[in-house]
Formats: sequence, C-alpha cells, structure tokens
Amino acid sequence: MAIVKQRLTNLKTRKETGLDFVVSAINLQTPFGVKQIKEKEPFFPGQEEALKEELMRIQKMMDIANASPKEIGLLLETFMVVKDNTFSIERAGTSVLSVVEIFELKSLLLQMEKIKNLAEKLSFPKEFVPEDTEALLDVLDPGGDRLNTFYIYDSFSEKLGNLRREKKEKDREIRKQQKVGKELVKQKYGLSLTPKFEMVVSKSDQNSIKMIDEISEMTRTDEDYMSVTFSLTPTEEVEKLMKECDGLMSMIEDEELNVREMLSKEISKYEAVLLENCHRIGELDITLSKALYAEKHNCVMPEITTEHILEFEDGRNLQLEEALRARKGGEYCPVSMALTDGVTCITGANMGGKTISLKLAGMVAILAQYGFFVPCKKARVGLSNYMQILIGDSQSIERGLSSFGSEMEELKEILDNSKDRSLLLIDEIASGTNPAEGLALTRSLVDHLKTRPYITLMTTHFETVKGDKDVKNLQVMGLAGADFDKLDKELRYAKRIERINIISKYMDYRLTVVDDAAEIPKDALNIAKMLGIDKGIIERAKDYIK
Amino acid sequence: MFLLEELSQKYKTISIVGMAKNAGKTTALNYLIEEAMDEGIVLGITSTGRDGESTDLVTGTDKPRVFLDTDTIVSVPTQLYELADAGLEILKMTEYNSSIGQIMLCRVASSGYVQIAGPVINASHQKMCEEMLELGAELVLIDGAIDRKSIAAPGTSDAIILSTGAVLSRSMKKVIEETAHTVGLYRLPCLEDGKDKDIIIEHLGEERPMIVGDGDVRILDITTGLGAGKFLDGQINESTEYIYVPGAFTQSVVADINPRKLKKITFVLKDPTKIFIDSVSWGQLRKKGLTVKVLENINVAAITVNPSAPGGYAFEHEDLLRGMQEAIPDIPVIDVML
Repeated sequence: MAIVKQRLTNLKTRKETGLDFVVSAINLQTPFGVKQIKEKEPFFPGQEEALKEELMRIQKMMDIANASPKEIGLLLETFMVVKDNTFSIERAGTSVLSVVEIFELKSLLLQMEKIKNLAEKLSFPKEFVPEDTEALLDVLDPGGDRLNTFYIYDSFSEKLGNLRREKKEKDREIRKQQKVGKELVKQKYGLSLTPKFEMVVSKSDQNSIKMIDEISEMTRTDEDYMSVTFSLTPTEEVEKLMKECDGLMSMIEDEELNVREMLSKEISKYEAVLLENCHRIGELDITLSKALYAEKHNCVMPEITTEHILEFEDGRNLQLEEALRARKGGEYCPVSMALTDGVTCITGANMGGKTISLKLAGMVAILAQYGFFVPCKKARVGLSNYMQILIGDSQSIERGLSSFGSEMEELKEILDNSKDRSLLLIDEIASGTNPAEGLALTRSLVDHLKTRPYITLMTTHFETVKGDKDVKNLQVMGLAGADFDKLDKELRYAKRIERINIISKYMDYRLTVVDDAAEIPKDALNIAKMLGIDKGIIERAKDYIK
Repeated sequence: MFLLEELSQKYKTISIVGMAKNAGKTTALNYLIEEAMDEGIVLGITSTGRDGESTDLVTGTDKPRVFLDTDTIVSVPTQLYELADAGLEILKMTEYNSSIGQIMLCRVASSGYVQIAGPVINASHQKMCEEMLELGAELVLIDGAIDRKSIAAPGTSDAIILSTGAVLSRSMKKVIEETAHTVGLYRLPCLEDGKDKDIIIEHLGEERPMIVGDGDVRILDITTGLGAGKFLDGQINESTEYIYVPGAFTQSVVADINPRKLKKITFVLKDPTKIFIDSVSWGQLRKKGLTVKVLENINVAAITVNPSAPGGYAFEHEDLLRGMQEAIPDIPVIDVML
C-alpha cells in the first residue's frame, strides 16, 4: 500500500505566514544545512514529544552559545568554508578522483576534525558530533603535518619517489651537458642562448637565420610569423637521456594514477561515515542557526500542548518588525491572542493591523510546528493536522481570475481538505462582492465552521459577529484611547504623505475581547476625515448610519 | 645585470602591461621568468583580466603557457590544473572565481609548463598577491590582459613593466614617441600634500568634479567632466587653483576653457590611466598651459621592446633599443628578443 505523505500546508501559506522568511533569515552557513532544511517535515499531532526534544536541543544550543561565544564563532567560521563534496565521496567507489577532488576532500576532513573537536569541547549532543575520520586523514596526509595542502607526494609510493628522483637526476644531467654545449656555441660562433638553450631570431634578420641554419649544433625548432626559434641540437648522449626522461615521465604518470586510484578506494571505504558526518554537520548548522536567530530576535520556546489551542502573549510579526526596524523610529506594537476550536473574528478599525495580526497567528503556529522558537513573550501551541491561509494576493490577478473567483476556488480547497485539528486563517472574505450577499455568505460560512474541530480566525466586519454568541470577537483597540486633540494638531501641519504615518503612530494595534458590543466602531469615518476627505461627505455618511 | 634581484628589492608586485596586442608581453614574461631562474629568485606568477574563452583552452594561443621552475608560486584555476605539465602542489583554494573554475594557489613541485589565470576583479587580485607573498614568493609578476592598460592603475601593483614594440607603428620614431608619451603620463607629478589634497581626498567618494582653491571646495552637480568644458570654464573664478575630474580625462574636458584661465589652474586626476589624449594633442595642450597632476602615479620599473611586428616588418634591434633608451634615459630598456 502506498503511503500518502501527510501535507500540513501549501506554498502560499508558508509564504504568507512568514515561515519562508524565517527559514531564509536564519542564515545557514553550510551547504548541508541549506539542503537539509528543505527536506524538513513539520511535526504532526502525536509527535509532540519529538517536537519538544527538538525545541530542547535549540534551548541547549542557545545556552552553549551564550556560555562560549568564542568557540561558537570558530565553529561558524569553519562552517563558512565547508563545501559540498558529497558527489566526490559517492564517486570515489567507482572512479578515480582527480587531484583537486582529493585536495578538497582532505580540506573537508580537516574541517570535520575541527568541528568534531569544537563539538566535543562544547559537549554538544552526540547526534551533532562528527565521527572520527582521523585514519582516513592519515592516509591522505602521510607526512602528518595536517596542512591544508595536497600533492601526490613521494611518500605515497616508494616507486613514485624513486622514479621522480631518477628523472630529476637525468634532467640535471641533460642540463649539465646542454650547458657545455651552450658554452661551446658561444665560443665557436659568438651566439648567446637563453637559459632554455634557445635563440629567437627575427625574420627580418635573414643573414643570421642563414648563418645559424648552417651550424650543426643548432636546430630550428619553432617558427612563427615574426621569428625563428633555434635550439641547441641535442648530442647523442642528451638525446638518449631525453628519451629516457620521456619514458620515466609516462611511468610517473602511471604511478600517479595508481596512487589516486588507491586513495579513491580508501576514501570510498569511508563513504558511509563521511556522508553521515556531512549530515550531522548539516543538522548542527540548522539547530545552531535556529538558536542564534531566536536569541537575536527574542524568540521563546513555545509550550507544546496536546489540546488544540493557539495562545500567545505579546507576539510580533518578524517580517514586519524587520521592515519597521529598517525605517527609523518604527516600533512594533505586540499583539496577544488566545484561540481555541471554533470561530474567532478580528474586527475593528481600518488601518488597525487586522491582516498582520492574522498572519502573526499563522506565524506562531507554523514556526512552532516546524520546530522553531516563536516571536512572543510566551506561547502555548497545540499541533494541527492542516493549516491554511486564505488571503488576497497578486497571484490571482496574474492568473486572470477575478478576486472573488480565486477566493472561492481557494475556499473550496480549504473546505475539502480541512480535517480534525485544522487551523484556518481567513482574511476579509467576500469583501469584493456586493455587501448583502457578501455578508450572508460570511455568516453562513461562520455557521458552518463554528461547529467543527477547527481553530478558525477571520478578519471581518462587525456585522458578521453581531449577536452571534458562539463567535468570539477580538476588536482592535484602534484610536479609541488616542488623544484626538493632539492627533488633530499634528495632522493639521503635516504633509499629505505623512498623515498615514501619524495615524499609525496613534493607532493601538492590540486586540481586546468584546462580548457584546452594541456600538459599531466608527473609525472608518474618523480616519477618512483625518486624511482630509471633505467634511460634507463625512457628515452625510454619518446621517446614513443613523 | 641582475634585473630581477634589483626589482625584487624595490617592489613586491609588478604588472606587465602591453602598449598594444602583440607588443611582446608574453615574451617579456617568459624572459623575466628565465632571468629569475638564473638569479634564483622565487617568483609568484598570476594573470588578470582573462575571461577564459574556450577557444583559448583549445588552441592555447592567447593564454600564456609558461615554463615554471620548482618552488614558483602560481595561480591556477581548477579546470586547468589537470592540463599542467608541471607538478603542482595545491597550497590553497582561494575564494576567487573565474569562468574556468575557482582559483587555486599552487607551488611548483616539479618544473614544467603551466597555464595561468587569475581573478578578474582588481581588488581580489591585490589580496591574492598578498597571499602569494605570504606563501613565500619574493616577487609577484602579474601578466596583464591584452590591451588593458587599466591594469597599470596604481593599487593593482607596486610598479609596472611596460611592453612596447614595432606593432605600434611602422615608424620607429612614432613607436618611441608614443612609448615616451605613455611613460611621461604614468610619471606625471603627484599633487603635493597639503590642505587642498586633503579636501580632494575627503570628497573623492562622491565621484563628482570639484573646484578647489584657498582651502575651499565646490562640488559640481555633473557626473563627468566629459564635454563639460564650457560649464567648467564658467565655474573657474579668481580663487580657483585646482579642478578635480573623476573618470576619463579627454580633450573635450579642456577644449572650451579660456586659455588665460587654463594657464592659471591645475587639473587633478585620480591616476594617469584616466588620460585619453594622444601624444600630439597632449603636446599642443601643454604649450597652451595645461597642467595636470595626479593623486597617485605609476612606477615604471622597466620597458621591454620587441622590434618585430606581426605585420612582417621589423626594426634593427640595436636602433630601437638605443633610441628608446635615449628617449627614456632613467628606466632600463630591455630587448626581449635578444
């Protein structure tokens, strides 16, 4: 029977909740970490204990990083130079590796040793410590000096050393005899040769060319459009030596190939260990990066519960927080939520950050489920089987669908796939169609969802929740507590483009539970007025509300 | 004459720059390598600006294949390693890339032919040369790309060896004149240390022309001096002493400046490679009173001449050598074909 892999979520949800953002922001250093994080599966209900272990590992890593920053720095430096040589490792069994490949594997072995020593020193959990590969390093480094250099050294093979020595002696002998010849040519004909026993004569100098052509001690060896190169004619003795050198050279090459073959075989014996070590380095990289990121961005370990809930205190959307930090003066207003099965609606002022809060809930849930720390003061998360966000995006326009059409398409997908313990995040559904039908559709959707074992979070208008006792209503505090006199003053002298920023400054993004509110928040008209919409229009709108 | 010994005492890195294609740059490189062998100096060899087209790999024509002695430090891209005839001990995988693989620094373990290539970016080149010196090279020779005088720019190396030859012109007089002109430009005087120089250096990063005088600076709202002669003319006043021009310096920069004003002021350039004016026009401008100073000039350590041109003509070795030496008396001139 084929095993169908359980799918928690889709690409859009990963992107919109900010999971992808965090995965790339943790800044993995090794190629193994980068590869392995893509293959990571989320934890599902029933795997709570495994997830807790994963989170504990991150906590432990944070503690170690805080206690030994110097060693962690060294570790990261080593990570940075690690290259992915798994292809060479896998290839070593069937083919002969090149010198460059062996050099790179030697570098990798040296890096593994360094990581192993640091990991042991910092007493990392066993699953992060590379296994000992010193024996293989000994093979690749017969001199034992542990320098990050490589050559087919003489010490690899006695035969190779002998051949090379023999060739060197012959080369020296040739040179010695050639030098005698060079002197002779100088004395006899007054020609001075280069250290390579050559002489280049310009073609314009035909007399010299003719002269040298007739000297038996010199031979034409090269000719191009501008000059002729003469070389010292080798004597019989030299010629014999040269031939021997050629022979030696090909024997040396053969022996070098033998050495590379031998080394490749040795490397292949360690294939399993080496690949396992690469994997461990990748896992270490991922866990360490998660820990360092959590530390830097004040993320905490979520408490994992068996009941299906999503609670957090002072949560921050990391993506927005970073954008605000890039702008000067921007500060994130943390938001808290406590969600259980059933429908919860976020209502309230325009510009009140409803959508951001919706995404934040998704971020906390999805990060926890993928084994990350979460950007809150405190969080309790029960795992979900299915998680999806329904939100308008530019993609639907690119696909040529109307916003309503693509929304309905996605809604169908969500309703078809939802199962026990789902987390559904729905942003302003049916806002694109006529208000009467839109409201009706939303209310009936709420009716459908509120009886099911899903945590549903919706941003919507107040009318949706009016009078429905089963739906929890979270209202954005908005401008309710703002000092309007001050705000008005500030707005009066502001440039048009600054007005929105000023209103954002006075906006309280926190959510408050509203049990039965009779009053419809009139922030939309307030904001329209502040942004300079004609007074008459605003007054008329107020009349309509009455 | 122990040329290399002398050079290695004065400089740590030397670029070999060709006045034109076929000026005999590779021949000059080979000559210097042979000299080093004789003098027992450990060289570092690298090249710059090669983009590693595959045709080069096939024919081996343009990429210099040089014979290197044991212990020489050389930069070799991974893809050319296996093609080397010499035995190369890999000392270091650098962080620099080329289109034919990452650059490695190697020590020649057994002498033979090697194809060399180096990083393409000047800044990485400088760092790599330092690494070569650390690995034991006494003098690093940088083989510049054909026709790229820009590598002569100070900062790439301590000094240059200029390769020139018959290929420049059929007239030997012209060859000597053009070479002397280039050398003259490279050795333009540096702007004296002082308040004005400090001001210019302070605003260098803005890459805009500046009018400097009496310790005061006006940064002009144009990006280049090219074609801006009239504008510059209007900006010159009583107190103007220097005009700093970023980027290229051509005739169009000075063309429309009032001759009386021209005599009064000094143009300041970053370095001599920014000048694109031929020897005849340069001479005329100088007569009109043009003064140019640079922030950094270029040391010309030696000049190599190649008396034959691929066009088929050639000069007498002795004549060219003597003529060149007379025109540039204080720099050693070497005939690489002799």
